[in-house]
Amino acid sequence: MGGISLNYLVRRLLVFFLTLWVAATLIFIIPRLAPGDPISAMVARLSYQAGFVENSDQIIEGWKERFGLNDPVYVQYLRYMGGLLQGDLGYAMARFPSTVTELVGRALPWTIGLVGLATAIFFIVGNLCGALLAWYKTPKLVKVLIPMSMVFTSIPPLLAGLLLAYVFGFLIPLFPLNYSYGFGLQPEFTIEFIANVIHHGFLPAMAIVLVTFGYWALGMRGMMVTIEGEDYMILAQAKGLKPFYVLYRYMIRNAILPQMTALAVTIGTLVNGVVLVEVIFNYNGMGTLIFTAIREQDFGLIQGTSFILIMTSALAVLIIDLSYPLIDPRISLEGR
Amino acid sequence: MAEDRKPKDAPVAGGTKKAGILNRFDNPWLNWKFLTGAGILGVLFFLIFLGYQLWDTNLALSARAPLNLPPVGFTNWRGQEGVPEHPLGTENSGRDMLAMLIVGTPRTIIVGVIAATVGMLVGILLGFMAGFLGGLFDDVIRLAVDITITIPSLLVLIVIQSVLGRVDLVAMALLISLFTWATPTRYIRAQVLSMRESGYVQMARLSGVPVRDIMFKEIMPNLLPYLAASYIGNMAGAIVTAIGLEVLGFGPQRIPSLGVAIFFSVEAAALVRNMWWWWGFPTVILAIVFIALLLINLGLDEIANPRLRKAN
Amino acid sequence: MSQQLNPHPKSLPQNEGGTSKRDDSPSLLVEEGAGGRGVKDRVVLKVDNLRIHYATPQGDVIAVSDISFNLYEGETLGLVGESGCGKSTTAYGILQLVQPPGYIVHGSIEVDGTEVLNLSEEELRKFRWTGLSLIPQGAMNSLNPTMRVKDQIIDVIESHEGKKRDKEAMRERIFELFQNVGLPNRIYNMYPHELSGGMKQRVCIAMGVALHPTVVIADEATSALDVVVQRIVAQTLIKVKDEIGVSLIVIGHDMGLLAQIVDRIAVMYAGKMVEIAPVENVYANPLHPYTQLLIDSIPSIKERKPLKITEGITHDPRNPPSGCIFRLRCPFAWDHCAEVEPPPINVEEKHVVACHLFDEQFEERRAHAYATTANP
Repeated sequence: MGGISLNYLVRRLLVFFLTLWVAATLIFIIPRLAPGDPISAMVARLSYQAGFVENSDQIIEGWKERFGLNDPVYVQYLRYMGGLLQGDLGYAMARFPSTVTELVGRALPWTIGLVGLATAIFFIVGNLCGALLAWYKTPKLVKVLIPMSMVFTSIPPLLAGLLLAYVFGFLIPLFPLNYSYGFGLQPEFTIEFIANVIHHGFLPAMAIVLVTFGYWALGMRGMMVTIEGEDYMILAQAKGLKPFYVLYRYMIRNAILPQMTALAVTIGTLVNGVVLVEVIFNYNGMGTLIFTAIREQDFGLIQGTSFILIMTSALAVLIIDLSYPLIDPRISLEGR
Repeated sequence: MAEDRKPKDAPVAGGTKKAGILNRFDNPWLNWKFLTGAGILGVLFFLIFLGYQLWDTNLALSARAPLNLPPVGFTNWRGQEGVPEHPLGTENSGRDMLAMLIVGTPRTIIVGVIAATVGMLVGILLGFMAGFLGGLFDDVIRLAVDITITIPSLLVLIVIQSVLGRVDLVAMALLISLFTWATPTRYIRAQVLSMRESGYVQMARLSGVPVRDIMFKEIMPNLLPYLAASYIGNMAGAIVTAIGLEVLGFGPQRIPSLGVAIFFSVEAAALVRNMWWWWGFPTVILAIVFIALLLINLGLDEIANPRLRKAN
Repeated sequence: MSQQLNPHPKSLPQNEGGTSKRDDSPSLLVEEGAGGRGVKDRVVLKVDNLRIHYATPQGDVIAVSDISFNLYEGETLGLVGESGCGKSTTAYGILQLVQPPGYIVHGSIEVDGTEVLNLSEEELRKFRWTGLSLIPQGAMNSLNPTMRVKDQIIDVIESHEGKKRDKEAMRERIFELFQNVGLPNRIYNMYPHELSGGMKQRVCIAMGVALHPTVVIADEATSALDVVVQRIVAQTLIKVKDEIGVSLIVIGHDMGLLAQIVDRIAVMYAGKMVEIAPVENVYANPLHPYTQLLIDSIPSIKERKPLKITEGITHDPRNPPSGCIFRLRCPFAWDHCAEVEPPPINVEEKHVVACHLFDEQFEERRAHAYATTANP
């Protein structure tokens, strides 16, 4: 396959690094825009919630010194950015000896696994359904069944998660409602453990797939309709190619390209949904971590988790964007 | 020799579906998806209006009713039965579910309306400017759009709200609109660029029509169905984000919205206490709202794109 | 049914130097001339009473109205007419490719004795490209943008001849096709967007003849190209046709270009075939008033003449006028034309025209009409 044009590559990388920089800077600036400083604000909220906090002034001073909040802002900023570059996200204040990096490192793989699997399923199922909806040889029954299966489309994954958790976790307890694997199991590559992980991950993944694949089916159907009007489709028909071959080599192959770009655009929304689904299912990924951090008022952990999730999303978008030229031979020459 | 062929016998290749084609020239706004979606929302608003007239909305505040009552005809885990004074049951701080729905539904929708409106206005402004001015301005806008779309909005909003604490609904809507401008901007920019090159806009420019007139008389009318679809999509997206923030505990809590009701229920483990009415009713109402918005959106798509109509 | 415009098929005479008009045309190409090389008596394609409509809410538009003609083995037939006259729809009808809302109302299309309209879907699929192949109108967009050139030729070969194990033989076969149409071997692994317009058109030609089909239909195959490339591609088309020995239908509106490559010309107007004749006759002695108009509109360097603007109006395609379809624009029309539809009249050998002027009972009128015009 042709290479990626330099122009395209540079632009995608620029967007990626700018995204990281903007996110990091926002996360640095936002707390400083609030009245007071983050530590005082946090302690104030702690005392608001938990009543009087003993020696709060000393605590505040101690933290300020510890986090260098008495330095000029630009020094703080540079130190903060330097820390980020080294993967140092600071300490999780509410669980002191643990660093944010440690906690995130434990949670991130589960979230990536969950999102990755759900994405693979809804992208494949959705596009397949959309292609079948538009294909002239699809049996009538299938063309009726597919739209019926799409009734949950557009409902937020959070709500679908609630419904699924209630029906299949509580009323008919087929699936567990917490954690990504059973207690007492050690993460290892055994069939038992993998089966257990799938068992735990099934409902959260379905909560995303159920409400999402319909969008892809609709998008794919639209693309197929457009492609059916292309000149090369008439020639494909005239050539007497086998119908199924025309479907996947001429129609799906050409329709999938815009679907890939669409996927890159929706990664952000997808991550939003996963965070909340994890909370519902108490899944030990980034979403639950951030939820815990919010409850513990652990500002450092909220910042760190958010930043890493934003970075992961941007990386996913970058990967999709860079794989796009590999699928569409036209992009490698023309650039964009 | 020549045998007569009815249209339906025509060979597959020349496939003829007369019936599907005939509505192509009908009024496009008479689209069943669009009308159904709009109808559902209309009925919902009417019911809310009725509710405000007929029901005591103060019951949505806490400690106005007995705790944890089930809906009429059901029994809760303590063996209490539902009472007609609270037909949809109550939750654990003594709020009446029916009043919560009546008060919460419009509050949830209004967040979407505000965020989508702000996003659309900014999008129209930036999109037209980027499309018409081009150059550095266009580059900056494009980068900003790409970055904003890449970042999961919920995460930044969590960071902001964890500093600000709980805010009221309008403030929350405005915060959400930090992210709702990007999609309309990108869309309008692309459309303006392609229309700028199209024949009729070129003609208008050549004949000396002012740019403002070109924008609002030549380009806008063609964009209208797309903009409407984008607006509805943004509205749904903003409501999803708002619910997300509320479920994480950032919603205004005295007068609840639907998302806050769900937050309370999740906090109180209503799921495993089988208090399904607590999270179930808000979820069902929200599901109805989202399905209605999706139908409107799909209908607008078909109104804007005749090819999709043909395929039905 | 006697609607056939060519009831007495005979082999066409060898080209005898052509007419004055043909001598005018640039002799850049097709040195041997066009007429009758290797044309045999056998009918390979027999279109009979074909009618195609487009469904609209206001009623059906008649795109092709009961046309009939034959194509002989080794022959090149030109199908001409103005835009919207139904020439492309005829081609797509023959290929069974009429896209909805169009549909074939009735008719018969026989290729080598096979009735195409009676084939089942799978039979039709197998018949396509081996019986009838297409060189499409918009070669620019007719190649799948995500497939290499070679794969698009291989797929048509393999879907009709089964999977080929021998990749080397396949390669040789494609190189041979490339050579036939004058394409360099280096494009074998290229994507369509890497080729020029002329190259894409040649790829389409190579693809069109890859299976040695009985009949090839070239639908405005050169219209989108610039003039020089147009002529070269047209020349290639004829050369390949002769080498491979297929019969060819060329659809076009460039009378000058067609004159150099076809053996016979069929003229269509508003879905009807109004005249069909060997190419020399059409240019030297056009009979139908509409054909005369077409010939007249070929620009000439020698004399500058004003374009004849046809008076009268074009009719509503949903409600064709009674009698002759051309009468609203015809300078010679009289009452009879509105009452009776002109039958095909065999004026001289292989020259058929559908116009009342050539009915023997109206001979006087014809003489008068033609005396008033500059045309022969």
